[in-house]
Amino acid sequence: MPVIRILALALLLALSGCSVAPFKTGTTTGATPTGSKPREPGAGPVLTAPTEIGRPDGEPVIETPPPAQLPRERPRVPPATLSPASRSLVTQAQAQRKKGDLPGATVSLERALRIEPKNPLLWLEMGRLRMDQRNYPQAENMARKALSMSVGDDSTQSAAWRLIADSLRARDRNPEAEEALERARALEPS
Amino acid sequence: MARKKRLSKSMRRRLQRGFAVLSLLLLLVAIVVVAVLDRRVTAQFEGRRWTLPARVYAQPIELYAGQQLSSRRFTEELERLGYLAVANPDRPGTYRRRGDRVSVFVRDFRFADERQDARALRLGFSGDAITSLEDAQGREVAVMRLDPLLIGSIFPIHGEDRIVVAPDQVPPLLPAALKAVEDRKFDSHHGVNPLAILRALFVNVRAGQIEQGGSTLTQQLVKSYFLDSRRTLRRKAEEAVMAVILESRFEKADIMNAYINEIYLGQDGRRAVHGFGLASQFYFGKPLTELALPEIALMVAIVRGPSYYDPRRQPERALERRNLVLRVLAEQGVVSAADADQAAKKPLGVAAPGRKGGSFYPAFLDLVRRQLREDYEESALTEAGLTVFSTLDPLLQEKAETALAGELDRLDASGRKEAKGLEGVVVVTTPQTGEIVGLVGGRRAAFDGFNRALDAKRPIGSLAKPLVYLAALETGRYTPATILADEPVDLKLPNGDRWKPANFDKQVRGPVPMVRALTQSLNLATVNLGLEVGLDHVARTFEQLGLDEAPPEFASMLLGATNLSPLEVAQMYNTLANGGFRSSLRAVRAVIDEAGKPLKAPELEVAEVASPEAIYTLDRMLIEVMERGTGRAAKRQLPSDLVVAGKTGTSNDYRDSWFSGFSGSHLVVAWVGHDDNSPTGLTGTTGGLAVWSRLMGSIATSSFEPLLPESLEHRWIDYFSGLETSPYCNGSAVSLPFDVGTLLEPAADCPPGAAESPATTGFP
Repeated sequence: MPVIRILALALLLALSGCSVAPFKTGTTTGATPTGSKPREPGAGPVLTAPTEIGRPDGEPVIETPPPAQLPRERPRVPPATLSPASRSLVTQAQAQRKKGDLPGATVSLERALRIEPKNPLLWLEMGRLRMDQRNYPQAENMARKALSMSVGDDSTQSAAWRLIADSLRARDRNPEAEEALERARALEPS
Repeated sequence: MARKKRLSKSMRRRLQRGFAVLSLLLLLVAIVVVAVLDRRVTAQFEGRRWTLPARVYAQPIELYAGQQLSSRRFTEELERLGYLAVANPDRPGTYRRRGDRVSVFVRDFRFADERQDARALRLGFSGDAITSLEDAQGREVAVMRLDPLLIGSIFPIHGEDRIVVAPDQVPPLLPAALKAVEDRKFDSHHGVNPLAILRALFVNVRAGQIEQGGSTLTQQLVKSYFLDSRRTLRRKAEEAVMAVILESRFEKADIMNAYINEIYLGQDGRRAVHGFGLASQFYFGKPLTELALPEIALMVAIVRGPSYYDPRRQPERALERRNLVLRVLAEQGVVSAADADQAAKKPLGVAAPGRKGGSFYPAFLDLVRRQLREDYEESALTEAGLTVFSTLDPLLQEKAETALAGELDRLDASGRKEAKGLEGVVVVTTPQTGEIVGLVGGRRAAFDGFNRALDAKRPIGSLAKPLVYLAALETGRYTPATILADEPVDLKLPNGDRWKPANFDKQVRGPVPMVRALTQSLNLATVNLGLEVGLDHVARTFEQLGLDEAPPEFASMLLGATNLSPLEVAQMYNTLANGGFRSSLRAVRAVIDEAGKPLKAPELEVAEVASPEAIYTLDRMLIEVMERGTGRAAKRQLPSDLVVAGKTGTSNDYRDSWFSGFSGSHLVVAWVGHDDNSPTGLTGTTGGLAVWSRLMGSIATSSFEPLLPESLEHRWIDYFSGLETSPYCNGSAVSLPFDVGTLLEPAADCPPGAAESPATTGFP
């Protein structure tokens, strides 16, 4: 019964408290909410993004446990995969990159992106191409786009954080790069 | 007598000397003239560089298993590209459809990254999708592009446009027919044909006979190539001399090829169509290599008078002359009499005017030109022979034109005076890649005039509201359930005036949750919210979403007093449709030079400009606009399971009717109004939304399904009170995102978790 599940979730939340994490390691079902169905209960405690500013009147601020103590048994979505058409185009783009034909690789990857605009793997590939082009800020942005499209997909998220780390390091922003790498590692199966 | 004789003798000697000097002088002048002409002719002809306007192509159709494309639509696209339906598709540009199986011989084409060779393909379809794609040997093909539609050229004002063809791209029949009809002695003469000139001068042309002009092909070429069209004796002489020079210096084959690329063959608005390469596209919508006898005969017929024999305006005259040409070809033995007879029975076969000629998308081409002008000099665009790969999706463009024209026609017929003769704009983008796939600049889309999509800056009305709410959500202090004050506003402006906005229905609703304020487009609640958040913050949000500069910080901006073009609105809303990532909207994907080398073009760039949580929350509320708010009228025209989001906009006194909204794969901005800015009597719902939903309902698109950020969860609240509730006892429960763990006040009569039987009404 969904209602009971919601109630259970609410209770769970009240008990576990609302947390503030440095970045999102919280849980979702990964499935896209349609707005018409109540959410499936998450298996673990749920976290929220940091908010510097207070909530509307009367809302208590609740302490949070550090992320390291969180159980990792969260429902995840399976790793993203490429359709045969975009896989063939990615293969072609990789060959073009290897030959140094970066404009050609751009054309191939953009073709794939038009076929699967919401596939995070393609945005990651685009980010790697931007690394080759020494356009490091865009490499990071492409990776962030991939992050936003791979909620709940640890392996893709991890790859995105690695790309962000690479792009930061290329700009001599080493402490931030190290931090990004930490996030990537945290998402990898131990 | 003797004296007389002596005198005359000396005179004669003097005369003789004078003659000699004179002839010497004349000879010298002639030599100089010829030398000058020779240099001019040779230099120009050897360089033989036509100024080549940049050619602009639409985006190609990608073929792959899984592509949403029915066999019927696919063959429509092939027809649009000038592919010919045949029993056996064994050469490029032909296809065969048998039910859900299509065989097609795809033409070769040089794309930005590589030349794709001509290739025979077999496609299987099922329902609305391609299910299999293989080559002639039955090997699976992962993905392949069709050759794209040529949509136009960037030519100078009153300029020449042409597509240069190499000799191997010319069907042999064409030069043979040109010789037979225009210049039978072409292979043997030395540039001029004195006999022909005499005949032209003295022989009256009998009715029904081809008028044998005095000019050889070489002379025609010289005239078109070097001289203006004044018909003076001097010009004629110059033309003859230059023709002889040309002949003495160059091969016949070179001259013929130059002729084929140079000669004037028609007018397309302010664009002059030169050469058979472009004329073939202009009249038949396909490459020259694919023309058959009746088509070649028609083009040869047109040479003599492109305006007099214009096959679109003077079809009967053109047909008569084409058949005359066919008879001559048979008489001269160029083709058999049987073939000529057969061809004479064929219709002209000319493509619809403009459709394939290249001036059909003036608003979009104007945008392409402006985007290219960021990186290129005008002369590079009009002369250097660039190939431009644009983002236009011709099918979508056609749907957008139809939707706009259809809705404006309906309004014309509605009998309301204010709604007569309205104009409109439609902009369509693909949000993730930031590409402009359709752009309609007016109800007569093919009319090249004021580009409303780019240049008509109008107050955006309530389209500004989502930006106010986004600014609020980004502070972290608001949720969809936050209660706003829908209370009267009375502001003293810096200039001393008072500003007293009202709600659309002049009502005041008191406390309302944020979601309802946005969904119902409440003015007072929005102004109060905007003032609380700060005008500077709201103005910055405009810039953040993609406006070049923040609008002036007047309180009236909260209700959309800011003037923006439809394209600017599309830029901002594209960011909302793209999860808070901004991409500069592109009309151009790639540019290559004549040799195929890639040149500079706008790149795909993204920038995360809004917090994922705030964007997700706003987008969810914009979905509610379509479910239960000012956009719900669209539901009737859309598939019931299609999730879309959007916002209406109406400016003061109903002068502008806007709608901007998106599905998962398309953003559409629609504007309807009068050019003279007079009231339309329309709200955003009756004008813009009607166009929008007509279009959205007519295209293949996908649901808008944003991914829930990990820090948010969906909760049920009451739409009217903002209290947390249960969908099973509350018909006005709405599911919206909140920071996980947010404490919400429960509704007393139906608290969350109330386990009653699901309500049967209200909630979708």
